[in-house]
Amino acid sequence: LSEPLPLTPESLKVSINSTKQCLHLQWTVHNLDYHQELKMVFQIQISRFKASNVIWMGNYSTTVKRNQVLHWSWESELPLECAIHFVRMRTMVDDARIPAPRFWSNWSSWEKADAQNSLGDHPLYVFPKDKLVEEGSDVTICYISRNHQDNISCYLEDELTYGKQLDQNVWAFELKNVSFHRKTGTNFYCKGQGVPEGVVLFVSKVLEEPKDFSCETRDLKTVTCTWDPGSDTGLIQLPSYTLFESFSGKKTLCKHRNRCDWQVTQDSQEVYNFTLVAENYFRKRSVSILFNLIHGVHPLAPYNLFPKSVSATNATMTWKVSSIGHNSALLCQLQLLGEGKVIQQHNISVRVNGEYLLSELKPDTEYMARVHCAYADHFWKWSELISQNFTTAEAAPSEAPDVWRDVTFVSGHPTVTLFWKPLSKVHTNGKILFYNVVVENLDEPSSLEVLSVPAPANSTKVTLNQSSYQIYVTAHNSVGPSPASAVAISGHPENENVEEGRVNGTEDGFHMSWKPQSRNATGYVVEWCDDPQNLPCVLRWKNLGPTNTGTVISSDAFRPGVRYDFRIYEISAKGMAHLLEKKAGYLKELAPSYNPEVATINLTSHSFTLSWKDYSTESQTGFIQGYYVYLKSKTGEKCHREFEKTVLPDNSVGCKYTIDNPDQKTLVVKDLQPESVYEFFVTPYTSAGEGPLDDFTKVTTPDDYSHILIHIILPMIFCVLVVMITCYLKSQWLKDKCYPDIPDPYKSSVLSLIKFKENPHITIMNVNDCVPDAIEVVNKPEGSKIQFIGTRKSPTETKGTKPVYLDLLPTEKNYSGPGPCICFENFTYNQAASDLGYCGHFPVTPQAPHCQLGPLTSPENLLKTLEQNYMNSLGEIPAGEANLNYVSQLASPMSGDKESPPANPPEPALCSEYKMQMAIPLGLASPAPSKNSSLSSTALLDPSEHCH
Amino acid sequence: MRAQRMQRTLPSLVLRLLFLCTVATGKCSGKYHELLLQLQRQADLMQDTSTLVDPYIRFQGLESPKLQEHCREHPGDFPSEDALWRLSRQDFLRTLNVTLGLVLRMLSALQQDLPEAAQQQTEMNVRGFGNNIHCMAQLLRGSLDPEAAEPTQPGPGPTLPPLLPPMPPSSTFQRKLRNCRFLRGYHRFMRAAGQVLRSWGERRGRSRRHSPHRALQRGARRTRPFLEVRRLSPRGQLPR
Repeated sequence: LSEPLPLTPESLKVSINSTKQCLHLQWTVHNLDYHQELKMVFQIQISRFKASNVIWMGNYSTTVKRNQVLHWSWESELPLECAIHFVRMRTMVDDARIPAPRFWSNWSSWEKADAQNSLGDHPLYVFPKDKLVEEGSDVTICYISRNHQDNISCYLEDELTYGKQLDQNVWAFELKNVSFHRKTGTNFYCKGQGVPEGVVLFVSKVLEEPKDFSCETRDLKTVTCTWDPGSDTGLIQLPSYTLFESFSGKKTLCKHRNRCDWQVTQDSQEVYNFTLVAENYFRKRSVSILFNLIHGVHPLAPYNLFPKSVSATNATMTWKVSSIGHNSALLCQLQLLGEGKVIQQHNISVRVNGEYLLSELKPDTEYMARVHCAYADHFWKWSELISQNFTTAEAAPSEAPDVWRDVTFVSGHPTVTLFWKPLSKVHTNGKILFYNVVVENLDEPSSLEVLSVPAPANSTKVTLNQSSYQIYVTAHNSVGPSPASAVAISGHPENENVEEGRVNGTEDGFHMSWKPQSRNATGYVVEWCDDPQNLPCVLRWKNLGPTNTGTVISSDAFRPGVRYDFRIYEISAKGMAHLLEKKAGYLKELAPSYNPEVATINLTSHSFTLSWKDYSTESQTGFIQGYYVYLKSKTGEKCHREFEKTVLPDNSVGCKYTIDNPDQKTLVVKDLQPESVYEFFVTPYTSAGEGPLDDFTKVTTPDDYSHILIHIILPMIFCVLVVMITCYLKSQWLKDKCYPDIPDPYKSSVLSLIKFKENPHITIMNVNDCVPDAIEVVNKPEGSKIQFIGTRKSPTETKGTKPVYLDLLPTEKNYSGPGPCICFENFTYNQAASDLGYCGHFPVTPQAPHCQLGPLTSPENLLKTLEQNYMNSLGEIPAGEANLNYVSQLASPMSGDKESPPANPPEPALCSEYKMQMAIPLGLASPAPSKNSSLSSTALLDPSEHCH
Repeated sequence: MRAQRMQRTLPSLVLRLLFLCTVATGKCSGKYHELLLQLQRQADLMQDTSTLVDPYIRFQGLESPKLQEHCREHPGDFPSEDALWRLSRQDFLRTLNVTLGLVLRMLSALQQDLPEAAQQQTEMNVRGFGNNIHCMAQLLRGSLDPEAAEPTQPGPGPTLPPLLPPMPPSSTFQRKLRNCRFLRGYHRFMRAAGQVLRSWGERRGRSRRHSPHRALQRGARRTRPFLEVRRLSPRGQLPR
């Protein structure tokens, strides 16, 4: 021990651990004495690529025994596969027992560590393979390329990465502060011409220290420790958790990452010092607690919680608890919840069975009872809650329904519609099954009428007599009735003559007030319809006390632009309601939604009247304050009187007239121009604005003369028509007056007069006494009309029944010149002959064409003409058709037709005598028709019958 | 020699168990067209890359185009479409069954490397498809359809690459790429299988003269057994 020993390391061997990227050195030190132990220092040099390139040198101190194989590892930052490493060492005794001076031994020879030998013949290698690193650390990655020509690029998660060349074919990349990308690792790859080669870095997040580490026991047999492990390290390999107990020296590997069970042994250890160690590849974290078994009892949850007996207001709850040994008691807390809120809470000490009576419950109400327990000796933690729902029994409704009525009178009899509000849940105490309505006639106390209205109806109708009534309404559930609500009804109509006021709506509703009429009022009721636009009205009401003189009526159903009518009633001491006030209002007035339909009446050339009387002001979206009448004229002239110029909503210019009386629904527009086009448009307005802009209506004023047409010509036409109708109706009278029938001389009174006064021998010349010798024929070739004024004697007045055709004309050779007297005898017409057709009965002679008017030289033509004249006696004969002019027997031939004097005017007759017109008997008129001559034969007159 | 025999019988035993596994899973529909339509639909679903390989690529961080271009099907992982067309119907179904057994094994091995949902869904799809393959095979066996034993497309004879799971590379990075290629091949294979199955419907639609039962009997003798499948599952060991 006195001399320094030449101790050198021997048998130095270097190996490579690729997984850990470590150079592992092992060596021995010979020449040590037997049983000798020396403290020695080993100086180690590591070179890279070549021995002279020392990259690391360090000392390793240890105590060395004889022939001991020493081990030492060195972790390389650069993957060992990318470079050849050389290692050598020397030693120095560093033992206090060996006096100084101390000398380093000689260096050992360089030992080479070459991992590239084991590589294959791939053109590209990237290292380290599958390295596990902690987030935030630095990593060096390298590649070895066998093809020097290849242009290789390397990417970290698709991001091009630049490295430095370490050797001819080795490049290294230093990745600083690597971050976690995904559980399946961060990809680093290099790509030349061929398939990419790469490595996956498994980046682990930093292992966190367990938080909230605590332990407890539920049964004094098992201790359960729990903790919050923090965030996941992000690796498939999870960190391990181990629980140590220092007093017993025991440990257990936890199966879960946030919980561990520890079995309590029988040695009655009460205090435990637990240490939880979390460990992964990179780190080890630990936390400790001191745990007293008795102080950490967390009882198991109680069980079998049931309501034992439940009435309307009471319920008894029972439950059981799990024993924790030592006959210990548990403190249990019983909570009663209604509508989700704890309304009662009771603490009960329980050993095995718990029981508690819950009181002051509401009938027909669902409750939840829940219970949890804790160790009574040392409170640590409540057990889990268990709960149970139950519903209390029903009870009779506790409050009378709120009743109101609507009274209408039909034929003088009141019809009462009773309304009631459903009782609130607090007061129903059960399900309302029906409502009883008892109608009591106060004038006939013994008369009671009972109606049962099934729920959930909220109204009923009762028809009453003109008596006073008291109506009682009760709500019934399965247990019994509620207190009664009474309504008094008078048998007579209420006073409806109450002036209607207005009420303004606000965001809160309608603020209304009233003036009490009676000091004995027991209350007030305000009624309204929630949705007055839809019938039937859903009646709403609000009861107010006798001291109230105002209220705010609000409802979710109130809408802007809807008119609500409120009626305020005062309730008398007898329960009778008297209408106090009526109010109407809008929650918010809106502009009118539509315009009136306007009619144009009394249109003249200078004015017209607009009328919209059908427009209702009651059902609008606001109180109608008046109307705007817009007027536009095509001529664009100035506005008329009382109209003001305005810009219309469509930006056109027009004239505006304001009517500020909503009840005025007509307007006379005056001072207009005749034959002009005017356009008008009427819109109502409320406090919110005027109605929508509609199309203008066009009106054209007429001209000035049109009224003349109407006022003069039309009456004239009427008068003419009246005259014509009168003439038609009085035509007989007119005829008699203007064109009387030719008087019958035999019936003339003159005859008697003559007979009486003058010559009794004077008589009427008989036809037989007169021989016609001449007949005047007036030929009127044109322009003349022949009026055949014949008598309208019916064929029955004729004597004969067969047609008789007489030829009165003597032949020319028998004509002896003008005689002193011309006698003309009217021919009698036989209707029967006419009916047969005149053509067929005319004799056909070879000289005269059939059915033609020939010259009046032949008796046939004459007869024919005469017959034609008779046939046309009701009308005028067209000129040219008639050639025969009848000469009245009363007129002298000279005084005949002045217009067409005869070609051979006869001389003035010395006497003119009227000849009787008569029907000639067939027997006399003509002989029996011969076989050949028929009727065409000439009638021969007896010469003796000539009148002289 | 014994070892070689073991090597040959063991995979076939595994495949038989897989096949039997599908047998036990449910009742078979006896309606050929219904079954065929179901197979076609399942093949269409399984050929969709969004069901497996796309989730895998995202899960492994291989979205880069530089890497995706190396995620192509590895030759030999799955039978080619051409080879499938040359198989008889029975052999085709057998090949499908064997190949999908391989896929199931790969899915099991990739449990940690795949999103859980995609892995489970694909596994269910494969198992369901296997059930229907079994049913179709049963239907064809019980039929006389000559087409059942005839190749879908006449050719020199069926040749399929060895159906062995890919050797896992030692490097995780290479394993990622290799698995990606395998899954890509799976989708291609299912697309090809769908095409063949569609041709079954078309051929039957064109010619309804032969019932499957009759046709199978007629063509059974002409069937050339599929060599590789036979190697993995020798004749007589497949469920009849």
